[in-house]
This record gives sequence, C-alpha cells and structure tokens, in this order.
Amino acid sequence: MVDQPLWITYIVGFIVLNLLLVGMAYMTWAERKVIALMQDRIGPNRTGPFGLLQPIADGIKLLGKEDLIPKFADKRVFVIAPLISFVTAPLAALVIPFGDSITINGQEINLYVTDMSVAVLYMLAVGSVGVYGIILGGYASANRYSLLGALRAAAQVISYEIALGLSIVGVFILAGSLSLVDIVNAQRTSLDLFGSGITIPNWFIFSQPLGFIIFLIAAVAETNRAPFDLPEAETELISGFHTEYSGFRFSFYFLAEYISMIVISLLAATLFLGGFDGPVADGPWWLLLKASIFLFFYIWLRATLPRFRYDQLMGIAWKVLLPLCLVNILLTGLIRLASNNQL
Amino acid sequence: MSAEVLVFDILAVIAVIAGTGVVLARNPVHSAISLVVTFVNLAGIYVLLHAEFLAVVQIIVYTGAILVLVLFVIMLVDQDDLPEFHKGKPLQRVFALLLGVMLLGEFAAAVLTRTVVGQPGPWTEENVTLAGGNVQVLGQFMYSGYVLPIQAIAVVLLVGTIAALALARPEDMSRRPRARQTGTISLGHPRGMDGTPLPLPPGVAAARQSPQGEMRDGIMIVNDAESYTDTAAFEYEYATLGPQPGDRKRNITGSEGDE
Repeated sequence: MVDQPLWITYIVGFIVLNLLLVGMAYMTWAERKVIALMQDRIGPNRTGPFGLLQPIADGIKLLGKEDLIPKFADKRVFVIAPLISFVTAPLAALVIPFGDSITINGQEINLYVTDMSVAVLYMLAVGSVGVYGIILGGYASANRYSLLGALRAAAQVISYEIALGLSIVGVFILAGSLSLVDIVNAQRTSLDLFGSGITIPNWFIFSQPLGFIIFLIAAVAETNRAPFDLPEAETELISGFHTEYSGFRFSFYFLAEYISMIVISLLAATLFLGGFDGPVADGPWWLLLKASIFLFFYIWLRATLPRFRYDQLMGIAWKVLLPLCLVNILLTGLIRLASNNQL
Repeated sequence: MSAEVLVFDILAVIAVIAGTGVVLARNPVHSAISLVVTFVNLAGIYVLLHAEFLAVVQIIVYTGAILVLVLFVIMLVDQDDLPEFHKGKPLQRVFALLLGVMLLGEFAAAVLTRTVVGQPGPWTEENVTLAGGNVQVLGQFMYSGYVLPIQAIAVVLLVGTIAALALARPEDMSRRPRARQTGTISLGHPRGMDGTPLPLPPGVAAARQSPQGEMRDGIMIVNDAESYTDTAAFEYEYATLGPQPGDRKRNITGSEGDE
C-alpha cells in the first residue's frame, strides 16, 4: 500500500463507479443474448452490430417513460427508496483491489479506492443497507403485492446474509485478516500439493470448497436473482416490490440489481479465486475474467432453474446452509490450530 | 478547520436532525427511517474515530438486522393498533420531561468532567498498530480474556429468543379479547389461525378432515407445509362435498380472467 493524495483516490473511485455502470449496461445485453442462445432464439440484434447499442436504447426509452406515483403512496419514501438501492449497490465495489499499484508520471497509484481493515464486513454492511430500498419501496407503493414482495425480500436477505457472512469466516481464518488486499496477497503464494512437487495456486476455493459453494448460493439469494427471485415473483406478485414503479425510478432498481450482481461476482472472485492473481501477468484482467465467469453462472442459473417455493427458500437458508457454515468454521478453525501446533 | 472536523460536523448535524425526526415523525415508518439515518451517520463518526469495526458492526447489527425487523413489524401491524405516539397522559408527560432532563444532566456532567476521569489506557495508537491493527486487538481481547462474558451474552440472547417464541405462540392468541383478533393464517402451522373456528354440522366436520389437515371456514389448515400443495383446499372440499350453498363462485379447472 502506498500513500497517495486524496484526489487520486477520488479519480480511481470515479473510474470504478463508471466502469460498473458500463459493465451493468452490457450485463443486461449479455444476459439477453446468452438467455436467447440458450433458448434457441437470436436475442437483441436490431440496434447496432450484434445489438450492442441495445442498452443505450433501453436507457433512452426508460428516461422517456411517464413517471407515475400512486395516489395513496407515501410520496417522499416512494421517491427516496429506489435511490437507496441505487446508491448503496456500487459502494461495496470501493474496497475491491483491482491489481497492484501502477506508476504514472512517477506517482504510484493503488488500484483500489480504499483498503479498509474491515473491508469484507463493510461490503456486507452496505448490502444490508441496500435492502431498505426494496423494503421501503414496497411499503411506500401502497400496494399489497408490493408489500408482500418487500416482506419476502426482507426475510430472505436477512436469512441469507447470515449464511453469506458465515461462509467467508473460513477465508478470514486462513488469511488472518478482514482486508481484501491482505486476503488477495495471502492467495498469491503457491501451494505444494501434499509435498508431491505439484504446485497449485493457494486460492481459497481449493482450501474452502464448502465455504465457496455456500457463498455462491447465498450470493444468488442476496442479490434476489433466479432461482431465488421470490421478492419479484411475477407469477404470484405481479412484479413484487417494484410493481408501482415506472420509468427511471424503476430503472434505479434495475441498475441496483445488476450492479450488485457484478459487485458480488467481483467479491467472489477476490475471496475465492485469488482476485487479480493469475498464472501469468497479474492484473485487473484476471479479476474481470473471473468475475465474468460468475456473471455467466448467474445467467445460466436463471435460464436453467425454476423458482423455489418460499418455504423451501427459508428451509435451505436455516436448515441446510447455516449448519454447513458452522461445520465449515469448526473444521477450518481446527485445521488452523493444528497447523499452528496449538492443538 | 480541517477536513475531518468538517466531516464530523456534517455527520453530527444530520444525525441530530434525524434523531429529532425519530421522535417527531407522525408515521412510525418515517420514525424508523430517521433512525436508520441516525445510525448510518453515527457509523460515519465511528469511522472518523478509527473504530471501523464498531462502525461496520453498528450498521450490520442495528441498521441491517434489528431495524429491518422493526420495520417488518410496523408494516404488518395495522396503524390503528399501534399505541398513540403523541398523546401521553399528563402524568406520563411530566415523568418523561423529568427523566429527559435527568439524562441530559448526566450527559452534561460526563462531558464537563471528562478531563478529570479520562486517563488514556495502555492501548495507544502506536501499540494497536504494533499488535496488527484494531480488529486484531479487539479479536484477541474478546476471545481470550472475555470469552466467558461473551458466551454469557450469547446465552442471554438465546433466552430472549426463546421467550419471544413462547410469548408469540399461536395458542395464546385465541385467549385475547375478541376485538383484537385478526385473520392471521399460517399455512405451515396447524394451530396458526386466530380464534376458535365456528362449529360445523357433524357430517360436514367429518367430511372436512383429510390426511393433509383440516378444513376450516374455507381454508385448509394443513399439518405441514409439504402436504399443502398436494391437494388444493377447495378442490378437496369440492371433491368430497360438491358445491356448497353460499360458496363464492369458484373456478376449479382454470383461472379467472386473463393472465
């Protein structure tokens, strides 16, 4: 970590936020394209080559839509709620390290916005504030479907946040730190496989496979994506919490959902796949490649799996994932103690 | 004025404004939102004091978990059922004022005498940095010297959870006054419905017992959630009894209207 003037940090943050927005726009394009191919359709192909201008056309269309506020809505809350979701979603990306520091004009620049000592907890905290956007939006709409969607979202996010938080405790134990920079650095060593001379990178997916799977499941639920998209189940709740939202207020929710998908993919890649560590030429490209694998996985899930029933959803969180998390923590702790010769 | 002081001032002013909003808002949901804003701003102040862990835990625990549950309850409960917020009895007001003034006095005393009592402990900034940082030191402390108190707190919380479960048992709801009964239905719980069901004619009562559960007032009170989806309640009733007089119009084969 190098000291740098505050204004450079602001510029890095600005670039990260804008990259997230662009990434989000092309995530929608990629999702439509991939799902279309999986369903033997063509997908967007009218706007520009391969439909590449589709996200821009979508944005212009959403801006031009009428902005509706229901008559009995709690107006102030109705206006603020989508903004809460939209503001908190990209905030979590600010602690992700994108690479080693680079030097421009003799000034060393960190490729992350900030290296908090509690970076991972910070991401969880920001995520837990983001759920207010959904809850308050559902409440303020004065619509029963919206309220039901909001209640589901609240229960789901609280339940899965526990699994999400506990699944990465194993990583903390192994890395000995909550800072993402330290966690990446801990993974940049190589691991000798049982003294056989075969070395693999010390990525935590190899030492924490159970934690990784739990994290993956909980992350899908945390971002309200299929097959855990109960809060917006269109078959039963019309569209859940954003039934009454239109135009750009609706698109704030949409943006928030996709940005949190990208952020959680970046987090998964950083925690379990070594972040920007690669076989050759470490750098941001490796992180982006790994994150795109997770994003593809998200789309794949949506195209493959039907939605869970609500009681199944809660059952998985509390009866399956939570006990598995605790077992994982116990085992990891014991192994750590044994390797320290403290057992 | 350094940037830190400026940021502190902004955070503090917003926290105080939001704090007054908690007390003054007419709508309990608005109160809860104000409380969220207060907590987030307090977390910001903790960060300024280099207590990042405390800040993050404050947001995860209070903002992310407890307040979400509070909002949950407020949104579910009918607003008319909530106690009046701004119409206390005269005696209540007098006591509230008295206690408030006492609390304010305590705070003032604490602030005024802080130079007298505030002796710095062994954990100065240099020592914390040497030991590996705030989080590491806190972890060492909590899980070595203070293991027993932390376990005790965990047990206390568990007792609280069990007590809440015991208080909220569905059986107790039926003993409440008639006026308070609302139509709470739990599909997963056989006794989840409020109140005692109306007595049925003997033949109908027998016919409405099924392996999945029991039929009450047109609602299937099922034994467990899994069996519920096997047979829809109205289908079961229709199959055993045929159309009932006074039934709402039901469409068994398909859904009504457009989809």
